[in-house]
Amino acid sequence: MDALLTKPNETLTTEPKKKISGSEALLRCLVAEGVDTLFGYPGGAIMPVYDALHSYHDQLKHYLVRHEQGAIHAAQGYARVSGKTGVAVTTSGPGAANLITGLADALIDSTPVVCITGQVAEHLLGTDAFQEMDVINTTLPVTKWNVQISKASDIPTQVAKAFYIARSGRPGPVVIDITKNAQFEMMEEFAYEPCRHIRTYAPKPLLDHTQLEKAADLINQAERPYILCGQGVLLSNASQELIALSEKANIPVAATLLGLSAIPVQHPNYVGYLGMHGNYGPNVLTNECDVLIAIGMRFDDRVTGNVSTYARQAKVIHIEIDKAEINKIIKADVGIHADAKEALQALLPLIRKNEHDSWFRKFHEAARSEHEKVIQFDFHPLSDTLRMGEVIRELSELTKGEAIVVTDVGQHQMVTSRYFPFKTARTHVTSGGAGTMGFALPAAVGAKIAQPEKQVVAIIGDGGFQMTVQELGTIMQYNIPVKMLILNNNFLGMVRQWQQLFFEKRYSFTELQNPNFSALADAYSIPAKKIAARPELRNALKDMLEHTGPYLLDVQVEKEENVFPMVPTGAGVGEILLEAPKSNVL
Amino acid sequence: MKQDFTIEVAADNNFSILNRIINVLNRRRVRIKRLVAHEDENDFRRGGATMLLHTTPEMIEKVKHQLEKLIEVESAVCYEGSSVYTEISLKNSKQVA
Repeated sequence: MDALLTKPNETLTTEPKKKISGSEALLRCLVAEGVDTLFGYPGGAIMPVYDALHSYHDQLKHYLVRHEQGAIHAAQGYARVSGKTGVAVTTSGPGAANLITGLADALIDSTPVVCITGQVAEHLLGTDAFQEMDVINTTLPVTKWNVQISKASDIPTQVAKAFYIARSGRPGPVVIDITKNAQFEMMEEFAYEPCRHIRTYAPKPLLDHTQLEKAADLINQAERPYILCGQGVLLSNASQELIALSEKANIPVAATLLGLSAIPVQHPNYVGYLGMHGNYGPNVLTNECDVLIAIGMRFDDRVTGNVSTYARQAKVIHIEIDKAEINKIIKADVGIHADAKEALQALLPLIRKNEHDSWFRKFHEAARSEHEKVIQFDFHPLSDTLRMGEVIRELSELTKGEAIVVTDVGQHQMVTSRYFPFKTARTHVTSGGAGTMGFALPAAVGAKIAQPEKQVVAIIGDGGFQMTVQELGTIMQYNIPVKMLILNNNFLGMVRQWQQLFFEKRYSFTELQNPNFSALADAYSIPAKKIAARPELRNALKDMLEHTGPYLLDVQVEKEENVFPMVPTGAGVGEILLEAPKSNVL
Repeated sequence: MKQDFTIEVAADNNFSILNRIINVLNRRRVRIKRLVAHEDENDFRRGGATMLLHTTPEMIEKVKHQLEKLIEVESAVCYEGSSVYTEISLKNSKQVA
């Protein structure tokens, strides 16, 4: 699964005997791993590392964020668009604790990040020393692996192991907690060898050809086959193989939230986006397919709805690198424990050419219904106020679908996922499984640093923007030309939508009195504009995109817009609603 | 239907390994009836835990995969009932003695 990733320096790095500190050894390990970018925040227990970093600024570019949560989200954004492992550095105690949300996010969304946390000196462990926290046990449930280092001589082997674990198999976050004495301790000699094997860890499963043949038989005999594409396709760089399979046997492809961009939205076999606010056809027809081919996805509850009514009629083929995901939610008739790219490459020659025209027609009919009931009103609203859909549509036209789009969590995220025409792999970054509000702004910072030549647009709601708004300081300090598009409805929109539909419109603490975001941006010397009228939209977006530096555009949108279609909580995908039940219509 | 299962986990004997194993069970609210953990007498870098669990066959299957997913875990072998637990825990307590 690490085909795209930068391989660590293959040569064994040994040097003549010269004493170096544990801190310097750490930095040399990072350089040997191909790391050139760090996101971090200094503090007492990590000061030796920051002191060593002062002499490494030509090899390791460090971005000082404004909060440790910003550091890990930036590292995530960096990792997601580059395919490399993102690195965050923090101090002990609260510094490490502020990583927790990002670790949980990276774990569920399979993002390779290595977080280095300072720790109090070994003799102070367990003494309730200043800024001491049990980082290992606190981060244990939200990391793929973590390790505490208390001797400088352990740094090279453990750092090598950390990077290997973070990027291999199903990628994930790793924490390296280094006691202050280990950072100070002088080492006799430095040698770094990349990790290639761990006795108890097998990240790359061997292909089971019997299972592949069973899968091929099912696909070849299917009348209504249906591919669900998850992030595993992106992580294993298998977009080409996915498209080849879909084209060879003419199989419709739908994407999960994190699978978006694995296949171009304009591809004729792409039928839409799955999930609670996904497209109508891709959801409802899950319950009509005869063979469901799930690739690199984990049947999240936002995708399946009520599992007891999910695809009961279908034979399920599940290709997944994480064995624990197979049969976890949906029982697979054929489970293929494999890297998506390897499995698809081996499967393709076994698949016969085929046509499924009448099956495709069902998706097209469903798309027409969705257009008539939902999309046309999102794109051409009858009201004077702007709707999120038309903003995303204009942005799509102006960027030609070629920007890297980073979304936060909520209504704007769902609307973007539905309407932005993603063209190439790794151009979509969002917080999926964890649903972390505040993710987008720092993640966009990381994405822009990873791909400086690409246009990076962070699309954020007014609620989420204020959760990590302090990162405007990072954007200002390093002049990071991120475009910030706030879809501002003065509400926590998705929660309000649920309150309207399922809690009899009791708007309990969802209305926001917001600051003047343009004035706030101005305080950080970031140009900004606020608009509310339709005639201003296109030019305002153009100004934002054409501006050379960072830019904030605050778009006032309809206050009580609802996102449809919607699979209500507890309902099955077949019960997806195209509009609010009559009793709930305003 | 819940029933007794014995699960035998072999792992690297790193700090926190027992916490990692227990965490998998706690998160899924699997009842632990008995537990014995040990360091290998021939190699202190390795060890293991044997647990008597009370849960459903579906859950034990998922727990087994989640345990095997832990980086330091070498294997998680599952047996129906409690007799294997008694046998293994007796063997391990003799080793310690």
